[in-house]
Amino acid sequence: MKFQLLEINLSTKEKKVVDVSQDIRQYLGGRGYGAKLMWDRVPQGADPLGEENILYIGVGPITGFLGAVTSFNAKSPLTLRGGTSHMNGHFGVELIYAGYNAGILLTGKSPKPVYLYIKNDDVEIRDAAHLWGKMNLAAQQTLHRELRKELDDQNFRLMTIGPAGEHLVRNAAISHEFYHFAARLGMGAVMGSKNLKAIAVRGTKAPAYSYPEEIYEIVTKFHKDARLKKAQDRRWGHNLSVSGRYYNTTEGVKNKQLGWDPICDLSNSLILEQQYKLWNDSCNYCHTGCKVPSFRRNPPLGPTIAELRHDNAGGWDANVMLPGYDVQVYLTSYVDELGLDSEDVSGVVAWMMECYQRGLISREELNGIDLTWGNLPAICRLLKKITYRDGIGDILAEGLKLAPLRLKKEMAPYAITTKGIAITSYEPRGSMQDAIDLAVVPVGELHAGRGVPKRVVCDSLTICAFLRHNIQEVFGLDQFARDMLHGACGWEVSQEEWLDMVRRGAYMERCYCIREGYLPVRDDMMPDRFFEETIYNKYGEPKILKREEFLEKREKTYFAFELDRNGIPLKENLKKLGMEFVIPPLEKTLPNWD
Amino acid sequence: MVEKGKDQIKVEATPVREANPGQPPQKEGWGVENLPYPDKVALIQTRWDLCTGCGTCEMACSMKHFGVIHRELSRIRIFRYLLPIPKSVQNVCCQCSEKERECQKACPLDPPVIHFDKEKLHMVVDTERCLGSSCAKCQEACPASVPRFYPPEVDYPLVCDLCEVNGERKPQCVEVCPNFALEYMAPQFPQHLERIHPDQKAEYLSKRLYPLPKDKIQIPPEELFKEEK
Repeated sequence: MKFQLLEINLSTKEKKVVDVSQDIRQYLGGRGYGAKLMWDRVPQGADPLGEENILYIGVGPITGFLGAVTSFNAKSPLTLRGGTSHMNGHFGVELIYAGYNAGILLTGKSPKPVYLYIKNDDVEIRDAAHLWGKMNLAAQQTLHRELRKELDDQNFRLMTIGPAGEHLVRNAAISHEFYHFAARLGMGAVMGSKNLKAIAVRGTKAPAYSYPEEIYEIVTKFHKDARLKKAQDRRWGHNLSVSGRYYNTTEGVKNKQLGWDPICDLSNSLILEQQYKLWNDSCNYCHTGCKVPSFRRNPPLGPTIAELRHDNAGGWDANVMLPGYDVQVYLTSYVDELGLDSEDVSGVVAWMMECYQRGLISREELNGIDLTWGNLPAICRLLKKITYRDGIGDILAEGLKLAPLRLKKEMAPYAITTKGIAITSYEPRGSMQDAIDLAVVPVGELHAGRGVPKRVVCDSLTICAFLRHNIQEVFGLDQFARDMLHGACGWEVSQEEWLDMVRRGAYMERCYCIREGYLPVRDDMMPDRFFEETIYNKYGEPKILKREEFLEKREKTYFAFELDRNGIPLKENLKKLGMEFVIPPLEKTLPNWD
Repeated sequence: MVEKGKDQIKVEATPVREANPGQPPQKEGWGVENLPYPDKVALIQTRWDLCTGCGTCEMACSMKHFGVIHRELSRIRIFRYLLPIPKSVQNVCCQCSEKERECQKACPLDPPVIHFDKEKLHMVVDTERCLGSSCAKCQEACPASVPRFYPPEVDYPLVCDLCEVNGERKPQCVEVCPNFALEYMAPQFPQHLERIHPDQKAEYLSKRLYPLPKDKIQIPPEELFKEEK
């Protein structure tokens, strides 16, 4: 199978299709190949919002089977290191049907707002003056009306950035079909910095899979055998985890000042299901349907729809002391409209709320916003200021790595962050495993163990993160991946070769981040609050992280990832994987590396 | 059934699907999915409210008929709308009632290339004689725009044949649908009433979201919190 990458230089409007089959065989695509492209294409120390940065919209060899994850890779404006973000939905599979089964690589910067139109071989850079400034939904609907000539065009898949991305807010997100988001690490800001408002894609060609009957058998067997997954997730979607997490003290309360509050009991997934649920929605070839839109219509907030899950609604829960789903449904869809990363910006808001509570920032400094806990109108006004970089919002739009440097230094300890990314809907004091998982991701706090090599490879392949445990149960991940690669590409992948693919992607991402200034022993840390302040759960049990235990576990994790005790890959391993080219540049940044 | 005058109680076994006699049912459960397949005129009923838009039916259809995974060669199609949140609806031939077969009436050839076969009990297409996508009168005539072409590979209308092979009908999309959003059953009312254009289906579903208009997700906070200064 041939893998084709659509490469577009937005500065010169030059378009070409490159055969990258060799690289895909090594790095698979998605996140792993994205790290490789960043290494090759982005000069060391480049400005993430400058012309030198790239945006790789990646898919993998088996994208579209069991969820269609699209992977976005660029140097992150939020952490100033490697960045990666993933969204579900139907975008990735449409890209494959258009014939670009290795994704799109965007370089340069357009002089004026444009959008990208792709229909099979027809690729155009079109003027987007009429879309610029529009909210996500309005932009998507306007563009869709424009592109739809006949019924077949109904399935144009769109992704857009909101006003936040246009104003280069460092935690801006990319939206696809309104509630699918590539939210983390400021990918929307990178897209905005390239003056690219939207991408519309429609493909009517099928990829030439080598053995479709094998794929069909695996997918339908999975649908049948992973029935339990469906039974569970269809009811509440992924908001379910929020309810449970408060009882394990693994969900943040009041910017991590408390372990529990009576407000937490309002996060009851049964209420979400019975009062708000509309219907189920799923991604490509996935039986689960874990997207559960919620609809509310009663006063005082009026009719709203949102899709609440742990990632986007978790931060707008007890962490900012908002009571229950009624308010969350309203606020979450407002954040989606603006095009912000709900998880990250809720951390910024919670930080400001705590500073306001402690009198470190006055109402005047907040441009007259009375930012008390759980104040919905105040939160909305602050979000608008952040989005349009107005007043205090201009500083807060810089994210938790750069903003504290521009404010009073007493405020910095209350910013709950690692590597510049907010920790909002997690409370590491309840679970050491969570703390380690959040800490050891080279690109920054990406939750649910996203730093583990086998997770990196899921993002490279690209399969849905929510199905990984079920795939493990039904087939075993290794067996599944090798069988699917055989069915899709006709490759005979031995177990050893497969494990090398797993290592290669994870090492590549780590090496790129190290080149851009990431030092695992220094950066893989949790904020001091988690080691110094004890919190109590509902039953009065104390919860705190022990620093020694954390460091010991972290070291063990490095060894499990096949790294040295400092979290750096071993030279011999890199040589074995054919990655010698990373060694000379890394020797410059790591003088004591052996 | 209890036979009078005897002590013994005789219970009739639950009927299995006729499509695979002697075999256990394909799907476990006591719901509609476990009913026996009909043996007279039948159609695939679509339940748009249950459709999650996964597209497994499209994969099953193209695998069955062409042995490839290719959405565009599927006879059942999923269309996705923003109402304002995404919602998918299916579109498939409903083997219309006798007097309402618009495609058959519209075919310029005599006898019509696309017609209902009374033996096989589904629409059939005489691929040899078809004039192809340059004609496409059947597609124009169908109120739901069901017949589809994929030239140059497939230059004849793709319509649902209920996966009929040698008189045995076993629709694969119904077999694999993970959401029971497709049902294979005898018509409950005149079939052509199933024949609703996807745009119209989306329109009906959007009414569930009243009073939210299709282009708005909420009352913006500037409007809602006006009084607060």
